[in-house]
Amino acid sequence: MTGRRWGLLALGLALLGWIIGGEWVSIHAHVPENHFIDALPGLSFLLAGLVALDRRPSSRIGRLMIAYVVVSYLGNWGNLQVPAAPAIGSSIGQQLGGAILAHMALSYPTGRLRTRFERAVIGAIYGVAGLTSLVILLAFDPRAAGCAQCAWEPAPFPSKTAVLTANLVAQRAGFILVPLFLAAAWLRWRRATPAERRELAPLWAVVGVVGLVDLLGAFSSPYPDAQSFAYLIWELQNVLYVSVPIVFLWGLLSTRLARSAVGDLVIELDKPLPPGALRACLARALGDPSLEVLYARHGLDGWVDAGGQPRSAPESVSAQQARTVTTVERDGRPLAALIHDPALDPGLVQAAAAAAGMSIANERLQAEVRAQLEEVRASRQRIVEAGDAERRRVERNIHDGAQQRMATLALSLAMLRDSASRDPAMAASLDQVAAELRHAIAELRELARGIHPAILTEEGLPAAVEALADRSALPVRVLADFDERLPGPIEAIAYFVVAEALANVTKYACASGARVELSRCNGTLRVQVADDGIGGADATRGSGLRGLEDRVSAVRGSFRVENPPGGGTLVLAEIPL
Amino acid sequence: MLIVDDHPGFRAQARALLAAAGYEVVGEAADGKSAVGVARDLSPDVVLLDIQLPDISGFDVAYLVGGRPDPPAIVLISSRDASDYGRRIERSGARGFIAKAELSARTLAAVLGRTGP
Repeated sequence: MTGRRWGLLALGLALLGWIIGGEWVSIHAHVPENHFIDALPGLSFLLAGLVALDRRPSSRIGRLMIAYVVVSYLGNWGNLQVPAAPAIGSSIGQQLGGAILAHMALSYPTGRLRTRFERAVIGAIYGVAGLTSLVILLAFDPRAAGCAQCAWEPAPFPSKTAVLTANLVAQRAGFILVPLFLAAAWLRWRRATPAERRELAPLWAVVGVVGLVDLLGAFSSPYPDAQSFAYLIWELQNVLYVSVPIVFLWGLLSTRLARSAVGDLVIELDKPLPPGALRACLARALGDPSLEVLYARHGLDGWVDAGGQPRSAPESVSAQQARTVTTVERDGRPLAALIHDPALDPGLVQAAAAAAGMSIANERLQAEVRAQLEEVRASRQRIVEAGDAERRRVERNIHDGAQQRMATLALSLAMLRDSASRDPAMAASLDQVAAELRHAIAELRELARGIHPAILTEEGLPAAVEALADRSALPVRVLADFDERLPGPIEAIAYFVVAEALANVTKYACASGARVELSRCNGTLRVQVADDGIGGADATRGSGLRGLEDRVSAVRGSFRVENPPGGGTLVLAEIPL
Repeated sequence: MLIVDDHPGFRAQARALLAAAGYEVVGEAADGKSAVGVARDLSPDVVLLDIQLPDISGFDVAYLVGGRPDPPAIVLISSRDASDYGRRIERSGARGFIAKAELSARTLAAVLGRTGP
């Protein structure tokens, strides 16, 4: 046993003596009450106070319980026939007990008052009790109050009026202080987080019990030879008071009960969890619905959530939102961070984190993979977008450079041809050169269009697809339910889906026509190319469709090729906008 | 006639070709904004207007020049094909379009709806 526990044992024995001694004094003074029942609340407070001091040394509730034991049995010791004892007993002993109880209730579970209002209310309660005690101590004259057997010195300033006035003032002050106390308790509840509210629940039970006891006070009497009903009420009051420290103690030690929830967590985590379910399990076990779990990315100094989305560092989150961070480590490296309600017991959070260690490690790996997948997807999208921008630049360069020069050359040739009209051989040669140049210009134009069609940049998707349809060897019907511009990369991908699909229809489908539908629905661009040909197209074969599928999926779209039962081929791409 | 194109080589050839065909070329401009100023100052009958200009587009120039009282006939030119611009050529208010390599007195007269200068 540690020195501290020996100390507690000694304190316990001393206070046991204090209680029993008080009752012994009462018995000898022939106080006609049930001494066993009178001792019960004190014994209950003493036991609970000692356990609280032992198990929750950081909480001041244990000390307050002990103080209550000391103060509330002063009254019994007041029956000792020595100077000043009755005065002290009937002043401090009767006045301060209630103030200590109120202090205990409002400062529960730490024993520390938090707000200025709480301190003011409790201060006022102590003040009124202290002043009343002082007046009684100085002015109480038991003989004047009718105590014929009291054979000791009267108070320094005996005054029956002063005592009566002090008692009256204390009673009136109660009418103000009780509502203020209830208001402070109510404010406490309003500000409390869910975890704190669970902790505060015992407080309400205690406030209820004390309230009931006080209400019953008007009807009670400790003397069995008075009315038997009043004596019964007094017995009931004492039994109720026995429950007060038990409820407090139960609340203080309830994290031990919460540990059984961590036990349930172990069982729950034994089976495989869907992604992100670990957070819900931990939140349930710890009773904190707002709990967040972030995972550390090894080697990157970054944090992600279970979905792999990057998140800011837990310390900054906790600083902004007044939350507490518990870091879970393995082999000296951070694995995860639990961001939770500051009211949660740190030991309980550590226990839950330890119980969920394997699951946390697993989910961290999954989150890491998701984060990497997300990065690959983003880089793929950037590559496709950069490719489109490059195609646009190449087309522009062809237009500004080679196409311009060839057009100028064509004009020069035309002039040369005009001046050579008198030389038929030369004219024929120049005509041949001009025809070659026209072919070259047409081929270059087609090449530039294939790289990136200017009409797509100029006029947008529906117009570019219309132009594509106009140039197609087959009749193509275009239906578009929108006219506005879409983001450049999306327009380019959709355009090339239609271009490739129509090229395939012309080459392989033996179709008599095709139909292109462009529609926007719920933030998605839907591109559909259908023909009435022989079908049989397969996206897994042929580099053209495969390349399209890659480009569409790079922007998180879906692409598929279907061969409907009625014949023909359907190419369908859905691209999120 | 006013020739608007950002390539000096093309402007020179076009000027020579059209002058030989009897057109009087009164001015040249290398970008859209100066084209609008020159068109206002010289009041040409015809503006040969490249669509792809370094500052504003030929469509914008056509809109600005065409909005003036007694506007000139605007003929759009480009080294691209008319189909590369969709309906924008129709909507521009220009008299017509000629691919640059096809530019000649004959194609110009066809667009302007007359037999010669």
